[in-house]
Amino acid sequence: MLLSFENVTLTYPPERKVLDDVSFELAEGGFCFLTGPSGAGKSSLLRLIYQAERPTSGQIALFGTPLNHHNDRAAQSELRRKVGIVFQDFRLIPHLTAWENAALPLRLTSASEDYIKRHSRELLEWVGVGDRLDAYPTELSGGEQQRIAIARAVVTRPRLLLADEPTGNVDDETALKLFHLFDELNKLGTAVILATHQGHLVDKFGKQAVRLRNGILTSSTFKAA
Amino acid sequence: MALPRHLFTPSFRQQHLGRSFAAIVGIMVFIASFATAAEAALLTVSYLWGQTIETRLTVEIPAVGDEAAQPQAERVKQATGIIRAIPGVGFAMPMADDEVTRLLEPWFNDSDLLKTLPLPTLIDVERKQDATITADQIQTEVRKVVSDAHVDDHGAWTQDVWRLVRGLSMIGGVTIALTGFTLIIAVTLICRAVMAAEHETIALLHLLGTDDRDIAHHFQLQAERIALRAASIGFLCALAVTGALLYATRHIADLSTLEIRHWVGLGAAAFFVPVCAIGIAALTARLSVLRMIKSFP
Repeated sequence: MLLSFENVTLTYPPERKVLDDVSFELAEGGFCFLTGPSGAGKSSLLRLIYQAERPTSGQIALFGTPLNHHNDRAAQSELRRKVGIVFQDFRLIPHLTAWENAALPLRLTSASEDYIKRHSRELLEWVGVGDRLDAYPTELSGGEQQRIAIARAVVTRPRLLLADEPTGNVDDETALKLFHLFDELNKLGTAVILATHQGHLVDKFGKQAVRLRNGILTSSTFKAA
Repeated sequence: MALPRHLFTPSFRQQHLGRSFAAIVGIMVFIASFATAAEAALLTVSYLWGQTIETRLTVEIPAVGDEAAQPQAERVKQATGIIRAIPGVGFAMPMADDEVTRLLEPWFNDSDLLKTLPLPTLIDVERKQDATITADQIQTEVRKVVSDAHVDDHGAWTQDVWRLVRGLSMIGGVTIALTGFTLIIAVTLICRAVMAAEHETIALLHLLGTDDRDIAHHFQLQAERIALRAASIGFLCALAVTGALLYATRHIADLSTLEIRHWVGLGAAAFFVPVCAIGIAALTARLSVLRMIKSFP
């Protein structure tokens, strides 16, 4: 199993429960939408997966490794390198160009400079911003920044891709294009968890979905834990 | 693994942190290089001067009241003869009366008065380098022919001079140590400021799976690059100022006796400072980042 949540609860001090007894599993190469209204706990769930948060109680296992109380930072980095993340706010580094931003995760590997340049540029062309390689984030539109953030997330071919509201700033048409992009990545073997509040688009897309409301998993097409 | 070279550059530049960093390293290297060069020059000159003065002593033959009964020239001749016969003495030569008068003039400010005073005759004596004979033994030998002769081996006042040199040397050492300490504090504070400014970038790098050591290494390289430029400028300025000062005071401190190996030693001592400063800046940057980064998610 690629990812498993077992009775996971996350409480922010003093007593604000954002996730309550959440359990689910995701198989290797799976694809799932994480839906629910704003404030339902989607981003918090993703933050638990990429270890920006620790659960108050319960167990999380990623790639077969338990994440709870993970204090070994080197091992944490190793796990994070296998996960690609598309942040809601993109988090592009403003003084790096588009291709430098996209290539950043590749620089954490032993890839050669030639491979880094070639592969990241090819990827940016694939996501449709091949003509903006040397532009800085401030010179790009929201959609272009979004695509560069996606390119950065998948440039190392991660085993798991987490996308937090990747279509939040684009129209429905563009959102569907992006969803197809994630679907293509999934077909290449990357498991995808895509958080979105655009439930109507999820329905059009016809993929599995899990729904959160007030931190509680209300419906799921995942195999129950 | 190689993070983009300019990853943290804007924070070093835009917030003037880089300029502060460079200025602090440059000024610290200037002060420390100057202090080191001055200290090394002081110790080298003192050592050379000490080598000369320690082998020399002065035999004083007091003037006699009754020149007719015992001529001063005869006393000096006898004393010089017996000194020259002592094993270990390489050189003994009475100083001319004019020379003695010239030495005393600054103290009396009246050369006419000096002519009326019964001045002693001084015999300049130089021991051989490996000689073990002491001033007391020479005095015992001389007094066999001139009972009131007195030998001065400069010991009393050279001890004071050595104490002064040691004191100045210690001040130089403390200055260098304080400079290094200040550099460590300044680099630590600047790195903390840059890390605070780059909080989001560092958090992102963490989430992408970057090791703390790689981020610290990147800071270290940045610190090295800035420190290298700044330290070179500080070092060259210190050399220029030291050179100008030595030239301006050449009539006081004659360095013409220094051999090439001494100059090489002085240069090496001063060059050691910027190399150390670059090392301290880089190591401090690395350690302070590694320490602070633990608080990042």
